Order: sequence, then C-alpha cells, then structure tokens
Amino acid sequence: MPSYAKAFEVWNRKLHYYLGLYFLFFLWLFSATGLMLNHQQWFGDLYRRAETAYDTPIETPDGDTLAARTRDLMRQLGLQGEIDWPATQPVWHIDFNVSRPNGAAQVRVDLTAKQAYVREFRNRPLHAFQIFHTFSGSRFNQPASERDWMVTSVWVFAMDALALGLVVMVLGSYYMWWQLKKKRTLGAFALAAGLATCGAFVAGIL
Amino acid sequence: MVYRWLRDLHLYFGLFVSPFVLLFAVSVFYLNHGKLRPGTPPPSEAFHNLQIPDGFDRLKGREAAELAQHILPQVGVSGEIGFLRYVARDRHLIFPVSIAGLESTVDVDLDGRSALVMRRHMNVWESLSYLHKMPGPHNVAIRGNWVGIQVWRWLADATIYLLLFISLSGIYLWWTIKAERRIGLTLAAGGIVTFFGLVYAVIR
Repeated sequence: MPSYAKAFEVWNRKLHYYLGLYFLFFLWLFSATGLMLNHQQWFGDLYRRAETAYDTPIETPDGDTLAARTRDLMRQLGLQGEIDWPATQPVWHIDFNVSRPNGAAQVRVDLTAKQAYVREFRNRPLHAFQIFHTFSGSRFNQPASERDWMVTSVWVFAMDALALGLVVMVLGSYYMWWQLKKKRTLGAFALAAGLATCGAFVAGIL
Repeated sequence: MVYRWLRDLHLYFGLFVSPFVLLFAVSVFYLNHGKLRPGTPPPSEAFHNLQIPDGFDRLKGREAAELAQHILPQVGVSGEIGFLRYVARDRHLIFPVSIAGLESTVDVDLDGRSALVMRRHMNVWESLSYLHKMPGPHNVAIRGNWVGIQVWRWLADATIYLLLFISLSGIYLWWTIKAERRIGLTLAAGGIVTFFGLVYAVIR
C-alpha cells in the first residue's frame, strides 16, 4: 500500500472517533429531543408554562428601522432572543414577540403613552430542552423569517457542524468497512437494506 | 469476545443506519438555511361522483382522518393527512396530503360529492426535510394516519436507538486503543465545554 494511502487510512480512522467524541453530547441532545418530538404523547404537561404580565414605562426607542427600535426596546426591557413581528403594526405602536428555548415574551409598546405591556412565559426545563432541536430562528417555508440574534446563529453553526461531522463520519466509515475484506458481503447486505428502506421513502414509494 | 461482538455490531448497525443518518444530516442544511419561495399555484383536477362517508360534521381527530383516508383512492392520492378543516357554511372538507416529493391539497364538496385536487411537487431538499420532520410534534391526535408514516416513525426511532448504541459502542472501541485515550479525552472534554457553553449562552 502506498504511504499516502496508509496515511489516509490512519487519519480517516482517527477522524472517525475524534469527530464522534467531540460531537458526542450534541448527538445525544439531538437524538433525545428527536425522540421527544416524535412521541409527544409521552409528555403530558410539556407545554404548560409559567406566565407573568406587567406594564412598564419606556423611553422613546432609538433607531432608523423597526429592527433597531425593537432592539433598543428589548435592551430597555432586559429581553433577549429571536424577534418576530406581526404582519402589520398598529399606528404609534411597536408590537413584537421574543423567543428562546427557555421562554418567550409578547411585547406591545404604545409609543404615545411611552408604555410597554409585556407578557413573559417561562418554559419547563424539558420543553426548553426539546426546543434546542428546532431553534434555528428561520423556517424554510416562511421566506420572511430570518435569524436576528447572534446566539441563534452560533447555535445554528453548531447544528451545521454536527451535520457535516456526521456526513464525514459516515463517508469515512464506508471506506473503513471496504478495507475489511471479510466483512464486505455482510456489510453490503446491511448497507443495501438501509439504502432500500430509506430510498423507498425518499422516492415517495412509501 | 465482547470486543469482537461490539465491533461487528457497530459496523453492521452503522452501515444499515447510515442512509438515514445522511438523510437527517443533509436535510439540516436546508432546514437551517433554505427558503421555499411560493410559486404559481398548481392547476387543480376535478373528481365527481365520489363515495363520501358520513360523519365529517360531527367527527374530529383520528376518526375524521381515518374517514378521509377512504376518499383518497378515489381522487388518486395517497399519503399522510396533515390536518382536516371542515367548513360548516358550505360543507366542504379541506385537507393536505403528503408523501416525500408530493403535497396534494384536497377540497371535497361533501354535498356535491366532488373534489378538487391540487398537486405540488417538492424538490429533493424539501422532500428530505419533510421526512426529517415526520412525524413531529404537531397534530399528534391524527399523526400516523397513513401506513407510510407509521413505518417511518418506527424507522426514525430505530435510527435514534441505533445511533445511541453506535455512540456507546464507539466509546468502548476507542477506549481499547490506549494510545488514543489522552487525545480522545481532550476532544471529548472540548466537546462537552462547547456544548454546555452554547446551551448556557442560549438560556442565560
């Protein structure tokens, strides 16, 4: 075997378990939350949340855009998270929602009265844990939705990194399996079974 | 003996589950970054003289979904019913039906015994994302009203359980390589610090 092929084999094997060890907790989180999302019947009180409502005076928010003014209001109110605006704003109002895995807030700001009306919701720990699975700040079927909190972008980067890591691990594992001549036949059956089952769904046969 | 068994099961389970892992991993990029722009509505196809079961005005949830499944073969559609909307005013029943690659919207005129069906084809990314999100947390009462999603739910669960087995057996297999313990522990610790650091940043 040429030396570069030997080096590739060694590093491919190392990369397989290095990536696996680094991403271990991320993988367990997405596995556990995936199971939760698919079995909501196991969790009766998952979505019950504590609510507090209050109103508080605010300063006229700074900024040229709705996003900038909203961020200034959030700073005044001590709120953080992904922002979501309703389709239309009432005149002299700024209404918005803020969400993050462990809670959310509905904010209605009357700019004339310089008053904010806030309803804050606190999610249960298990519910917060589940939200990490889908916390991307963007929905592919809602083109207007965008990430606007830097922390969400960092979390999405971690999701992407895990996905890429898994792809590299799977492709590397095919190479390692193929090098084991005695295991090729049974391995080919296992892979073919997986491909046929998964492929039937992707092709829309099932 | 244990080592050999675990190594072989790690390999064969891993090979079986690998297409599912690739599907769930690749679709993450579309779910995180993709945007589905609304196109022109697809043309609708009309169907007449349908056999419409009774009871849509009083049945809800699973029972209504199972009843609606009886209409689907008559309009050339199969798949998972997403939700059901009964419009009492003009006695119409409207529901989306999906399989990977195709989303149909069925609008049934219960009194006229006719239906309009709109079919919208999904691109490959959307199809993978659809499977990624199925069965999911929404409309739990009717989810799995089609055999395909019942099987897919089982396979999605199997993927998770096999991944957990593969990760645990992987830890054992790595631990047997003494020369790799130190760097492996360093990487695992780095991963744990990154993980909890990120979780803390999101919820603090």
